[in-house]
Amino acid sequence: MKEKRGSWYLLTGLVIGVILGLVYAWFLRPVEYTDSSPASLSSNYKDKYRTLIAAAYLANGDLVRAKARLSLLGDSDIYTTLAQQAQRALADGSSPQEARALGMLSVALGQGGGPGQSTAESASAQPAQILTAAPQRSPSPSAQIGLAVAATSVASTPSLETQTLTVSLAAPSTLVLTVTPTVTSQDAITPTLQPTSGPTATPTPAPSLTPTRTPTFAPLPTRTTTPTPGAPFVLDKRETICDQNLGEAQIQVETFDDQGQPVPGVEIVVTWEGGEEHFYTGLKPELGMGYADFTLTPGVSYNLRLAEGGQPITDLTAPECALSGGERYWGAWRLTFVQP
Amino acid sequence: MSSRWFRFLIVIAIGIAAGLYYGWVIDPVEFVDATPGMLSADYKTDYVLMVSESFHADQDLVLAVSRLADLGNAPPSELVQEAIDSGKAHDYASQDLELMQALANALSNQPAGSETSGP
Repeated sequence: MKEKRGSWYLLTGLVIGVILGLVYAWFLRPVEYTDSSPASLSSNYKDKYRTLIAAAYLANGDLVRAKARLSLLGDSDIYTTLAQQAQRALADGSSPQEARALGMLSVALGQGGGPGQSTAESASAQPAQILTAAPQRSPSPSAQIGLAVAATSVASTPSLETQTLTVSLAAPSTLVLTVTPTVTSQDAITPTLQPTSGPTATPTPAPSLTPTRTPTFAPLPTRTTTPTPGAPFVLDKRETICDQNLGEAQIQVETFDDQGQPVPGVEIVVTWEGGEEHFYTGLKPELGMGYADFTLTPGVSYNLRLAEGGQPITDLTAPECALSGGERYWGAWRLTFVQP
Repeated sequence: MSSRWFRFLIVIAIGIAAGLYYGWVIDPVEFVDATPGMLSADYKTDYVLMVSESFHADQDLVLAVSRLADLGNAPPSELVQEAIDSGKAHDYASQDLELMQALANALSNQPAGSETSGP
């Protein structure tokens, strides 16, 4: 008598095989990532990477390079991410230097300028300077972001004053930056590109990773002095904001240029009896690129002015607001500055 | 019977191949929390360059060493030397190589035994 058996054993074998394969592929020998990109870093290490980028930027003043490096992290909004990290660092208060670096880079990104030595500037000081690009994978279109790696020279010699940056932190929520002035007014400096005298970047296809040089000479961005030089900001509006959600008395500052566009990186100086703080617009991009705020202590009278000059606003004290039921809470001053 | 076993083993092999293909190609283990030590060589080189640039400005060797420690357990001087070699191979600018060399020199001038210790 012959037992008739179907083909289920084949399916059983297949299932067993798949399970064995998956166990081997996922657990015994999973894919090893040894050539990761910064984009795959954990959020903690991404924060460290940004901090390092900011520290390097403070050291070399090369905003193009900093941008290229930041782009490697794959953040959807580089500026916002950086500004938020700067805020976290400020709130944390554990490392004022890191907070300063992040804040300065964030402000520079908002401005499109640098702390005193842009690529174009350094190129002017050292003609035909060869810059090394941050590494990029090829053939990614994003590899062209400011990457550079070209020999650069500046057609017109810029007359930029070196900015001196002295920073201290006084309040956990406020970046205090004392900046001795800014770039002198000038026309835009357009760097021109010339072939490098170094080794020629050959357009041979790279295997997996391209070397740090790209065969394309990416033009450096035109440098303009920002905030927009020219007419100083003037106070356009001064109003009281009653918003229970604020939870604290504030001075809110907004700055706009003559086109009505928000202006980041404007230094604001707040003084009161026995104290002074400096802060910048643009460090809370979620509230506007030209926005900055400062927490008031009720009962203290403050004076505010923009560092670049203009009429000071005096006697700012925490405004009181009231609900219809008579309950009172602290409101905010909203000061709007514009460039006429 | 032998034919039956043969087919059974064949489908197991097919299943293993399918499982490997799925596990390695279609849906491999995703590694999203990489550390700087897992970066490719050129990114590591740029990382070391950033540390060197920062060190050039602040001369804080302890901070530099702590940053280099994120790249792995190798001695910092070794990491920097690897970066210098990589930088030379990739035609890094001389000024960048000098910055890394300056960091390497600073590390080599450290007291023996203190190199691998972070802050």
